[in-house]
Amino acid sequence: MIPTQWFLILSAILFTIGVMGVLTRRNGITIFMSIELMVNAVNLTFLAYAKQFGQAHGLIFVFFIMAIAAAEAAVGLAIFISLFHHRDTIDVDEANLMHW
Amino acid sequence: MVEFTIFFLFAAIAVIFALVVVLHRNPVVGALSLVASFFALAVMYVLLDAPFLAALQVIVYAGAIMVLFLFVIMLLNLQHVAEPSTRPIQQFLGYTSCSAFGIGLVYFIIKYVVLGPPTAEFKATAYDIGVRMFEAYIFPFEMVSILLLAAIVGALLLSGRTRPSEVTK
Repeated sequence: MIPTQWFLILSAILFTIGVMGVLTRRNGITIFMSIELMVNAVNLTFLAYAKQFGQAHGLIFVFFIMAIAAAEAAVGLAIFISLFHHRDTIDVDEANLMHW
Repeated sequence: MVEFTIFFLFAAIAVIFALVVVLHRNPVVGALSLVASFFALAVMYVLLDAPFLAALQVIVYAGAIMVLFLFVIMLLNLQHVAEPSTRPIQQFLGYTSCSAFGIGLVYFIIKYVVLGPPTAEFKATAYDIGVRMFEAYIFPFEMVSILLLAAIVGALLLSGRTRPSEVTK
């Protein structure tokens, strides 16, 4: 039986890598993939605690998080396509206007 | 013993490919590495006795969402877009601060999170999840379906080719 803490540590490491991507990269798609990485790290934490306490609520939460991540990916990528059409780049430094 | 070997092998795979996502300059390589990382996480879900969610992870995340990412990268032709390294001080601060954050998080978990072996019997088959979802969680489930519909409409609206001049007409 693998201790629950190990899963929590793995999740913390993956979350930190995601934060690193968001803080240091400027390519919009890469930042977005880092956010997906953080979402997955949180999912792993939910499942680790669900197993620890023997309750299925964490599983349902993970299910909903996956659905919301899908919606978020669709809308976010549409925003980047729109930005690319207007600015010909997806460097997030260029996206400094709320209106164009 | 086999469990531990599988855990460490796939934990290493997940972390290494996640680092490739963050550090590699080509977004296509990053997206494919993220798929590999998600597969390793699906193995973790199996180790946590949640095979249904492992299947969802592979089908929805690695299958659908990452294909959408790859499709957008290919569509916008971003494979060869270089990222010139401006602002080295801020980048250095980003790396150091989030390394400190990660070390602190791991230290906190090792020192303060004290958990015994799992207390209750844990069952997470598709049947159990389905029963809970359509009894206790039926309202959030319907809300998520509305949210997905809104996301479809929003994505269509945002990605349509409208130039500023056409909007004002």
